[in-house]
Amino acid sequence: MAKEFNVPPVVFPAGGNPAAGNLQQRRVPTAPFQPPRPPSSSLPFMSFDIGSATSTAASTIYGGPIGGGGGGGPSGSANFDDEEPLLDELGIHPEQIWRKTRSILNPFRVNPAVHTDSDLSGPIILYLSLCLFQLLAGKIQFGVILGWIVVSSMFLYVVFNMLAGRNGKLNLHTCTSVVGYCMLPLVILSAASLFLPQASVVRFGIAGAFVLWATRASTALMVALAEGEEEHRGLVAYACFLIYTLFSLLVIF
Amino acid sequence: MYVNPRLQPGAPTPSTRSQPNPFEDALYGAGPGLIRGGLGAYGEKFLGSSSEYVQSNISRYFSNPQYYFQVNDQYVRNKLKVVLFPFLHRGHWTRIMEPVGGRLSYKPPIYDINAPDLYIPFMAFGTYVVLAGLLLGLQGQFSPEALQWLFVKGLLGWSLQVMLLKVTLLSLGGVEPPLLDIVAYAGYSFAGLCLAIIGKIILRYMYFVMMPLACLCMGIFLVKTMKRVLSAEVRSYDASRLHYLLLFIAFAQFPLFSWLGNISLNWLF
Repeated sequence: MAKEFNVPPVVFPAGGNPAAGNLQQRRVPTAPFQPPRPPSSSLPFMSFDIGSATSTAASTIYGGPIGGGGGGGPSGSANFDDEEPLLDELGIHPEQIWRKTRSILNPFRVNPAVHTDSDLSGPIILYLSLCLFQLLAGKIQFGVILGWIVVSSMFLYVVFNMLAGRNGKLNLHTCTSVVGYCMLPLVILSAASLFLPQASVVRFGIAGAFVLWATRASTALMVALAEGEEEHRGLVAYACFLIYTLFSLLVIF
Repeated sequence: MYVNPRLQPGAPTPSTRSQPNPFEDALYGAGPGLIRGGLGAYGEKFLGSSSEYVQSNISRYFSNPQYYFQVNDQYVRNKLKVVLFPFLHRGHWTRIMEPVGGRLSYKPPIYDINAPDLYIPFMAFGTYVVLAGLLLGLQGQFSPEALQWLFVKGLLGWSLQVMLLKVTLLSLGGVEPPLLDIVAYAGYSFAGLCLAIIGKIILRYMYFVMMPLACLCMGIFLVKTMKRVLSAEVRSYDASRLHYLLLFIAFAQFPLFSWLGNISLNWLF
């Protein structure tokens, strides 16, 4: 029995070696079950080996944590605990979003300090809630609102930097972040307009008030975030007013 | 002066200016990178051709856009008064020149009420789109797609106006002002148009009063401006031809404004 046989390592059908096999199966539930697939299927995860380094197909489907886990899998089970939480890795910080949103809720005083580092996840959440309220009103406008947000933030970015001249320090990320956060009054307007009578003065009046709130908040933020633009405050305010009136048209009509 | 000094090492650099103006030279400013890159591309295209004569005229063809945004509140208010009620403008219509680095150039809009700017045309265009949406909504015909088509219609109208002015200036010969100047003059028409549409929103019949008034005012404004632009070039041209062309510009405002002001679901007409 001294003879050593050259035993090739056991390879699971779509999995790696047994030591990391259980670990991978925890996160890739489809791998050991091998659901029946048509032979002409071109799904990428059929043809790779989780334990090997060519697990790029999996990481493109399942995202960061799996790719990191797949790469570190063969070296042991410690890496799963070392990973960052999912939200942190994606860059979404719920407390920051909540803090920024709360700062816009006060129509009379805006605190620009919390908005210095811009993020786009808050605006995406506000965009989705605006679309949701519009959906409740019977209007399917997901693409329209997203397109209008993109175009209007580019418009505001160009106008603001041209007005500021040499000192134009606003970048597009911050601009989109400000425009997105100041959509909060419009989200509240679309929620309220579900209960207001159609084509009445009350509707227009409330919409006007909310648009003015959004304009005031966004102008204060833009002027505070790109310093030294006090003298163009009225000009920037009119540009913001146009943008939010445009969105309020979607809500009112 | 409008050409990128990076490509012309011998040209007067910004530091030799008699009056340091932080607003000029968008290419040095921290402005939007896209616009800076675009201007750089244009500069290289024009500088590829060799002669000195062409180089000295590059600034005539595509000027620095940041010049048109050097505005403030007071300028905007006064300029709107000039554009909407040109017959009330008591002063002269000529632009003020200043010597900058050995060459004469126009003063920026903050210092000169007669200088064209691009802030008012852009804002007036945006106001036109928003007011058109409001009008559609009040008629019960609002939809986002309709508003997007109206945006395209506004752009078409703007470019038609630009073509009208450009053709007039070309047919009279001479060196034309920079393209952005003409775009600015054409864009001022949206200010009068917005007033007419506000009239339409308030009272349906007020539109038929405000619209000819707006056309007339815009016609007067454009005639006075073109006359000043053309007389700046001392050239011998046929005086009667000049007058006929100016009259044509003024009368062409009527069909253009009524087309742009006709806001309905059928966007093209």
